[in-house]
Amino acid sequence: MEPQRAKSVTRSVQWREKAFPYALLAPALLLLAALTVYPFFYILHTSVHRLTPAGETFVGAQNFLRLLGDPFFYRAAVQTLVFTASALTLEFALGLALALLLDSQIRGRALWRALLLLPMILPPVVAGVTWRLIYNPGFGPLNGALRLLGLDTRRLTWLADPIVALASVVLVDVWEWTPFVFLILLAGLQAIPEEPYEAARIDGSSPWQTFRHVTLPLLLPALLVALLLRTMDLVRLFDSVFILTQGGPGFATETLSLYIYKTAFRFYDFGYAAAASLALLVVTGALSRLYIRFLTREERA
Amino acid sequence: MTIVYEEVSKRFGRATVVDRLNLSVEDGEMMVLLGPSGCGKTTSLRMLAGLETASGGSIYIAGRRVNDVPPRDRDVAMVFQNYALYPHMTVEQNIGYPLLVRRAERATIRGEVGRVARMLEIDPLLERRPRELSGGERQRVALARAVIRKPAAFLMDEPLSNLDARLRLQMRGELKRLQRELGITTVYVTHDQAEAMTLAHRVAVMRGGRLEAVGTPTELYRRPANRFIAGFLGSPPMNFVPGEIRDGRFAFEGGAIALPSGQTVAAGPVVAGFRPEAARLAAPDDGAFRGTVYVTEEMGAESFVFLECAGQLVTVRAEADFQAEIGDVLGVTVPSSALHFFDAASGRAVGR
Amino acid sequence: MRRRAATFGKYALLAVFLLFFLFPLYWLVLTSVKTQAEQFASPPVWWPRSFTTDYYAGLFQSTTGWLAFNSLLVAAGSTLVALAAGTLAAYALSRFRLPWRLNQRLGHWILSTRMFPPIVSIVPLFLIMRGLDLVDTRAALVAAYSVFNLPFVVWMMKGFFDELPRELEEAALVDGDSRFGAFRRIILPLVRPGLAATAIFCMIVAWNEFLFALILTQTEGALTLPVGIANQVTQYEIRWGAMSAAGVVAMTPMFVFALAVQRHLVRGLSFGAVKG
Repeated sequence: MEPQRAKSVTRSVQWREKAFPYALLAPALLLLAALTVYPFFYILHTSVHRLTPAGETFVGAQNFLRLLGDPFFYRAAVQTLVFTASALTLEFALGLALALLLDSQIRGRALWRALLLLPMILPPVVAGVTWRLIYNPGFGPLNGALRLLGLDTRRLTWLADPIVALASVVLVDVWEWTPFVFLILLAGLQAIPEEPYEAARIDGSSPWQTFRHVTLPLLLPALLVALLLRTMDLVRLFDSVFILTQGGPGFATETLSLYIYKTAFRFYDFGYAAAASLALLVVTGALSRLYIRFLTREERA
Repeated sequence: MTIVYEEVSKRFGRATVVDRLNLSVEDGEMMVLLGPSGCGKTTSLRMLAGLETASGGSIYIAGRRVNDVPPRDRDVAMVFQNYALYPHMTVEQNIGYPLLVRRAERATIRGEVGRVARMLEIDPLLERRPRELSGGERQRVALARAVIRKPAAFLMDEPLSNLDARLRLQMRGELKRLQRELGITTVYVTHDQAEAMTLAHRVAVMRGGRLEAVGTPTELYRRPANRFIAGFLGSPPMNFVPGEIRDGRFAFEGGAIALPSGQTVAAGPVVAGFRPEAARLAAPDDGAFRGTVYVTEEMGAESFVFLECAGQLVTVRAEADFQAEIGDVLGVTVPSSALHFFDAASGRAVGR
Repeated sequence: MRRRAATFGKYALLAVFLLFFLFPLYWLVLTSVKTQAEQFASPPVWWPRSFTTDYYAGLFQSTTGWLAFNSLLVAAGSTLVALAAGTLAAYALSRFRLPWRLNQRLGHWILSTRMFPPIVSIVPLFLIMRGLDLVDTRAALVAAYSVFNLPFVVWMMKGFFDELPRELEEAALVDGDSRFGAFRRIILPLVRPGLAATAIFCMIVAWNEFLFALILTQTEGALTLPVGIANQVTQYEIRWGAMSAAGVVAMTPMFVFALAVQRHLVRGLSFGAVKG
């Protein structure tokens, strides 16, 4: 046996074996790093500069200070919060109701489930367009139906009404994403085994008690998943608001994403937009860490 | 081809799963690694296959050190516990796979697959998929896939444990015939002592990552080196009675038995062992000690009587039609030559 | 008696829900086949007296067909890239025990990139693309969407790989195959349904995407369908007919796709956290 040659051959074989998984990971990691890590550092960098078509100058914390005193920023943040909270409440109430409905004995369940997918699956732009049609004060079916009921709809301009606009946009999001919550909750419900229910029945529990003490606790993981995912999506929502109102009328429906978009692409104030982006990033970063921690607990269990 | 484990160890983090294993397997021998779960037998097998790298020591196949050699170059074939058949391939493709990856000619592959399938009597199944096969059929396909390469060694990881009891007995015999006929060195892992006894040329008993003893099944059965081995081989297991050697006799709670002539055991606390088939039942006063019947098991060809004596359960083999009620008091005789003695503290066999 | 009332109540409630969720879609399709007069009628026309296919015909003559083609091209291209890179990475994470808990750490990092608000990365991405002179190209969108879909592909495919017993590759290795050979010959064929489902998910996401397309494209050379539809709205005159026809065209493939992957939908939407 030639030990020397054997050693160098086996060492290169060993090295190749060890490097194999990293070679597999490389394309994905490089792609991701190039288009997420770099932008992140870019945002950090830009947020401490004043960057406009005129040029770039270092301004330190000025952007952040400006942000803290900017009423439009606060308004956008508050509106995002209100939007998120109300959309979440409605989506979960409706989603849970639907899930409970379809989990019980109902005929044609597969068909209803498939139909209920549709609002979620179409391009958000199309959803926006569709609801603009519906909300149209003059010839839209919403006001048309209300008129049939005898209501005076001259004041009901929905998306053009500063007071009602946000609610109108919330409704569109609820329409679009309740199916998402519904699907996840339904899967969660169907994963609950029969035995606890049977035990509760034998123990003499009422439907409400069964729901509170058996269903809800066992549904909690799915609820949390849906809650975290929806919250993250709502906080960074852009598409439907843009199509429906562009943030108007005035600033009535301007959410954080729209605020950042306008700052960057209408006012070309990139440095300031970057600072605002960081604020948004902090929120989504916290939420995503929660979600990942939740996932890890599930993995361990 | 011979196989040698030389000071082989395997550590996972801080846990040592295999501790300085030294074992050599002769050419054409069937070596069974026997032990309870967690004893390191499967890990040792996987190190031989190249699926785990040894943390220390050397492994030799046919005289060649293979620690750094990838599995495909070790010339071993493996049969897994769950057969690991490729679900999306037909039986023919499964069996032919080892030849396919070695770039054999298609005609050669087909010929060899046919030959091996006939040998294992699965040629009618060649077009089927694994999910259409029964457990026994899948096992044969796994065997065929291993046999087709004429490897230097077979490695088998509890291949029979997923079969039902009847099939297991049948396959046991067929496996033994196959191995003896092909004469290929085999390392076989199991926790079932009956399999070890029937299949092996030699058995290596492992516990806690260490090799307890190596020997032919008969050697290990008749002259176990320690209490663990004595209790592991044989079904029903050996009876153990604690006591002490005093004045040339074995004294225990139920009485005393004279030591056999010519046997000297140092005085002190020992554990005596005897097998159920070595003891006899007798009238309550005729035995070396007496016990109360706890339960009986009639097996058809023989019966086993469990007696409670001195706070312990003792098993004795009896004739098929032996009658006894729960609560009966019976005597037990044990010829002194059938006694094994083990040191009470270390468990090592003493006296012989 | 009470049970029948309860059942009736259930179906009634279900009907209300279905009406709420399906009516807007009905209205969209309706608008796309109504004559202009009936579109603007008040009270609204619930069932048109005459149907017209003018708007759909008009689509073929307008640029919408080209936009749909762009959308398709970009979606398919980014799906391929994401699938290739993501599946390899998923296999590595599933099968190999990496040091320093990298399996977990890398997996989580990959997932966290999905949680990034698109609006945050759009500015630097825009500037990167401008620097590379790739603004207003389909290639830019393909790159952006690939990154979008990568985390999803990794998590979906990792789930599918995890379900296959390790012994399969071990058997292949002992039988004489190389690592990559085992992956190609044994593992990949077995995850084909998972690959298909993941691919369809990626197509849906890429096809529906709006913001990146809005920023990164300007002319019809690279414009995608969602942006085209949006553009119809933000102009002075809203051509509802053409827009709703385009909307129907945009949404129909998605429905077909979604039905095809129904089984995997929940798992995909929750990144594997909930088994559908």
